[in-house]
Amino acid sequence: MPSLRLPRRNARSAPRGRLSWAPWPTALLLAAAIAVPSFANTAWMGMLFFVALYVGLGLGLNVVVGFAGLLDLGYVAFFATGAYSVALLTSPASPLDMQLHFWAAAPIGLLLALVVGVLLGLPVLPLRGDYLAIVTLGFGEIIRLFLVNQRDITNGSSGVSAIGDPSFFGWVVSSNTDWYYVAFSVAVIVAVLTARLRDSRVGRAWEAIREDEDVAGAMGINTTKYKLMAFAIGALIGGLGGVLYAAFIGFVSPAAFSLQVSIDVLSIVVIGGMGSTWGVIVGSFVIIGIPRILLFSETADFLARFEWLRNGINNILGGLDAIVPAAIGELPPAEDWGAELGDDTRFVIFGALLVAIMVLRPSGIIPSRRRQLEFEHPPEAELSPVEGVA
Amino acid sequence: MPVVFLASATFWWDQFINGLTTGSIYALIALGYTMVYGVLQMINFAHGEVFMLGSFAGFGVMSVMGGDDLSGAMIAVAIFAALIGAMAASMATSLALERFAYRPLRNAPRLAPLISAIGASIFLQYLVLEQTEARAKFYPGVFPTGSIGIGDFDIRYIQLFLIGASLTMMALLFAVVQRTRTGRAIRAVAENPGNAALMGINVNRTIVIVFLLGAAMAGVAGVLYGLFFQAIRGSMGFLPGIKAFTAAVLGGIGSIPGAVAGGYTLGLAETLGREMLNELPGVDLGNEWRDVIAFSLLVLILLFRPTGIFGEKVSHRA
Repeated sequence: MPSLRLPRRNARSAPRGRLSWAPWPTALLLAAAIAVPSFANTAWMGMLFFVALYVGLGLGLNVVVGFAGLLDLGYVAFFATGAYSVALLTSPASPLDMQLHFWAAAPIGLLLALVVGVLLGLPVLPLRGDYLAIVTLGFGEIIRLFLVNQRDITNGSSGVSAIGDPSFFGWVVSSNTDWYYVAFSVAVIVAVLTARLRDSRVGRAWEAIREDEDVAGAMGINTTKYKLMAFAIGALIGGLGGVLYAAFIGFVSPAAFSLQVSIDVLSIVVIGGMGSTWGVIVGSFVIIGIPRILLFSETADFLARFEWLRNGINNILGGLDAIVPAAIGELPPAEDWGAELGDDTRFVIFGALLVAIMVLRPSGIIPSRRRQLEFEHPPEAELSPVEGVA
Repeated sequence: MPVVFLASATFWWDQFINGLTTGSIYALIALGYTMVYGVLQMINFAHGEVFMLGSFAGFGVMSVMGGDDLSGAMIAVAIFAALIGAMAASMATSLALERFAYRPLRNAPRLAPLISAIGASIFLQYLVLEQTEARAKFYPGVFPTGSIGIGDFDIRYIQLFLIGASLTMMALLFAVVQRTRTGRAIRAVAENPGNAALMGINVNRTIVIVFLLGAAMAGVAGVLYGLFFQAIRGSMGFLPGIKAFTAAVLGGIGSIPGAVAGGYTLGLAETLGREMLNELPGVDLGNEWRDVIAFSLLVLILLFRPTGIFGEKVSHRA
């Protein structure tokens, strides 16, 4: 097939003269991320580790969902594969009792996650989107059931403990701050790599498939091959997240690998804005950070300042009680608001928030610039030179 | 290859009836998934929660009418009232879902309504978990025990009622979709919403009706589930919801007979399939492997017959 030469501007992912990333916000974020351990306590560093870990996971799923448009509801399968590989191969408490070195087990974990991704993707990816969603969802559950039921391999629901801290050229990664730096570095590397992929020939193929698979196929793109590639890269990054998680927590059990993980990561990608790196970062703070921040004592101290608000609301509630004799009760002390929200209540709020964000901003909080252009400008607008970075 | 089943014929008969029982519930829920998918090409992820809320509404109605103290003809009246109450609650939930979580996203990127549905599902599930303090509620055990049949090949009354009621509801649904003006509108919108609108069909109204019909089926399924299993809880919607969606895909999503066939196929495959595998030497699968069988079956069907048992439409739908 003769190659079609398109005008250069249309062929590039980022229009000429524009960086595909925003330098100032990036520099600010990096500086803040590096400096934050000097004025945050251990609990906060643990929270930030999880935020960074989920930024990495989110960026991995972003390749699958945001770039290639494949809906994966079972991302936890790869996360679990990576985590259990490290746990089973290194821990002295593992039924396999191999006690490999972390650096030997980690690549095996990544490889296994990749293999699982390819094996799962091969039969399903030639089919259309919604099947992929349901098969991945089912597969995520199968992995969890396997972990629970294959007691002779996985220790069943009691899990595997005593996963040691890895060392890195003599530096033993043990404190929350150490782990935060590791997860943060991984997130940065993943961010750079996925952004480079997005702006490459492969990224353009994904985009074409996402927008219209039939047309992409007609243009000579091997759609199954590129979809499989996206799926495999996503799986690999999911496995990497799992390796980090297992080594950080030091303990894995099937309960940690429920559908909730898949939904969290997917929500991060979609709430933030599909295809957008900044979106994933914001999404991770919203989904992973906020629920944990609510439990901190600093949050309670901060909320205690809102005692006046509580009194006001209680006065109103008291007034209502006088009119309607229903037991509305009164609010708990303001400093307990964060912790008072039991797990169930937090999920109620989380669910409502997901709906609200989708309804108010269906393309996410920070949509990817390409998609924003598609939404806000008719195609002709791109031909005229546009100044400034969106 | 001749297969020798070690277990007795009555054992297999009982498993067959159990398969039909769970299959009925899957089929009723699957109808809601498949109809919504048919008109909107969207997975109504919160449909399992519609089923769950129906079950709780039915429980509420039965408790108010006397709970465990029900006797005689009042049992029948209470069950009928519970079915009506459950349908009403499920329909109200579905109406709210469609209006507030899905309709604003009708023209949004493809994944937005799905995430919104997941959010609504989490919201409803945890709202009920919070209100019930995550404890199970128990349907009053007033349904007549005992069974009917020839010799050992018998069927418990509750199972007979459950299967019969499900088939009746499905027959009613078919009648509505195939024989009424509204049904014709639904089929037209499923075929092509744009053309249907040009023909003077109120597409929004038709979509709402589709949600309501699916919710009514789920509400009935909720009560039947409660009567049969008795224990209901806020998280009960998830697994039947996923299985029912699997059933809808098995039958060919978008197809109403497909959802019914898929529901019964899945119900039978789960119960009979596990027992058959257990007949193999050296195999002993616990109850929890039912779910693995269900999902494995799904993957196999997708491999060898991606359009499902009845589906023709999916192959050319994005």
